[in-house]
Amino acid sequence: MITDILVKIANAALLLLAVVVLNFCLIHAAPGDPAQVIAGEMGGASQEVLDQIRRLYDLDKPMLHQLAIYIGKVLQGDFGHSFYFNESVTKLILQRLPATVILVLAALSLAVLAGTFLGVLSARKPNGLLNHFVTFFSLAGYAAPVFWTGLMLILLFASAIPLFPISGMADVARPKQGAAYILDVLHHLVLPALTLAIVYMAQYSRLSRTSMIDALRADYIRTARAKGLSERTVVFKHALRNALIPVVTMVGLQFGHLFAGAVLVETVFGWPGLGRLVFESILRRDYPTLLGVLFFSALLVMLANIATDIAYRLVDPRIRLRR
Amino acid sequence: MNTAPPVPPALTPANETVAIVRISPLRETFRLFVQNPTGMIGACLFGMILLLTLFGPTLYEIDPFDIAGAPFTSPDAEYWFGTDYLGRDILAGILVGGRATLTVGAVAAIITLAIGIAMGSLSGFFGGMLDTTLMKITEFFQVLPTLLFAMVLVTLFGASLQTITLAIGVVSWTGVARLTRAEFLRIRELDYVKAATAAGAGSSYTILRVILPNALPPIIVAAAFAIGISILFEGGMSFLGLGDPNVMSWGMMIGQNRNYALDAWWVVVMPGAAIFLAVLSISLIGDGINDALNPRLRKR
Repeated sequence: MITDILVKIANAALLLLAVVVLNFCLIHAAPGDPAQVIAGEMGGASQEVLDQIRRLYDLDKPMLHQLAIYIGKVLQGDFGHSFYFNESVTKLILQRLPATVILVLAALSLAVLAGTFLGVLSARKPNGLLNHFVTFFSLAGYAAPVFWTGLMLILLFASAIPLFPISGMADVARPKQGAAYILDVLHHLVLPALTLAIVYMAQYSRLSRTSMIDALRADYIRTARAKGLSERTVVFKHALRNALIPVVTMVGLQFGHLFAGAVLVETVFGWPGLGRLVFESILRRDYPTLLGVLFFSALLVMLANIATDIAYRLVDPRIRLRR
Repeated sequence: MNTAPPVPPALTPANETVAIVRISPLRETFRLFVQNPTGMIGACLFGMILLLTLFGPTLYEIDPFDIAGAPFTSPDAEYWFGTDYLGRDILAGILVGGRATLTVGAVAAIITLAIGIAMGSLSGFFGGMLDTTLMKITEFFQVLPTLLFAMVLVTLFGASLQTITLAIGVVSWTGVARLTRAEFLRIRELDYVKAATAAGAGSSYTILRVILPNALPPIIVAAAFAIGISILFEGGMSFLGLGDPNVMSWGMMIGQNRNYALDAWWVVVMPGAAIFLAVLSISLIGDGINDALNPRLRKR
């Protein structure tokens, strides 16, 4: 099992290196002078800055040499300098990363828990009212653009039900300390996390419903019922555990999508995370920041995949004991 | 000596009491699809949206970029969907904007399918080193968050309908590739493929004429969802201001008006509802096809 995971990590490292090479290729494939691209803000950089960039990245040397320089810089954690924010890209990203991770993890947990619960309930009565609701909800949740869902929630909670703040991560007018601050952040987190969760809740309810229906048909469920176990034990202990395996797979696969969805949600709710940073960098054509975020998001997706893989082995004894 | 062996009477053409009707799988699927209420609701809804975007702008002759009235006119008899922050007619925007959004969705889905099917069929059919290489490439693309990658591409290469469409297609083919590969791996081992090979069929004939038609049904379902996702991506990018500024689109309408949503709900509700209904109708169609293809549901 340990060697398996080590192989996975080595594989992930290679993929990350490929992302760095991709970033390098993008800088050179983009229309215009690579120095301009690295400087960002097309046309806004002074000659002095451009010359400095040419020297820093050895832009007059052969391509392979440049690539080596670029990879070397990335390995040192240097993704360049954002001229718009006047800050190193790595620093910018690390500042914004926690907010996004909080948002994504909150949305993911909400989506998995609520989605699986709905799916399990509806699987027990495949032709019941709840089942129709879940089917409709999953279709609607999938079809509504996430930024629009966010705006609809803002419209609803701004005046009709003013329970939750609709913008930002904390109360700026009355800054809080300690536990009160954490509560304040959680309070602000409700709407963005709910918005992001709705899309995926729909998918998880659908997935867990299908896999639960399959699991409830299995022979071991008949055996469990024949043993005289209570319905609750049969459903939640015997069937659910087996039905969860596809759900776990999905969590790993969807982390990247969730992350991209966060870009839109953060923009709608003014959540100060990486997504908001992406939006600002797009507006300013701040290429180094954009490419840095692309790298970091790939890194996060890869970490999530490895974590899923480990979770998978812990949940499923067939995989755990194979070798 | 040359006489043919006697044919049992039941099989002679003269005895036509039992006729074997060959139904092509696609026609059978279509028949079942038409009987499926979900799919038909989706098809009707989508048909309506298509007609409105095709003929709407000719019937409702207001330029979506023109200032048609006072800003934030609420929906009334003259402006059915109201006007936006500049006083532009929202209904006109939705009718014209649908063209860009739906075209990008359809073309991006075609690109997605073309890349996905090519990668999946080659790696599933040939296996070996080619499979390993192509799957590594697929894995690489799966690691990059799709929408974010598309945004980076469009920012770098300039926001036009072409780059947006290409970018969406280039980032979203991995699912189709995996699906196609799985189908090819399964079908490759079936007897009729072996028979075709034994009869001397070459690789390209086997891939295109023998395996691909049989692998198509699940790919068609994936295609429906690919169109939906492309529309959502286009919406998301134009919402962030990454759309073509000279072309009206639903996402752009929401993006430009979003700061005024609290004062005038219709400026964001209307175009968003258009995206919602378009994607909903397409996924209903996808669901309908999926049900029609599912042999377990067929026997009901």
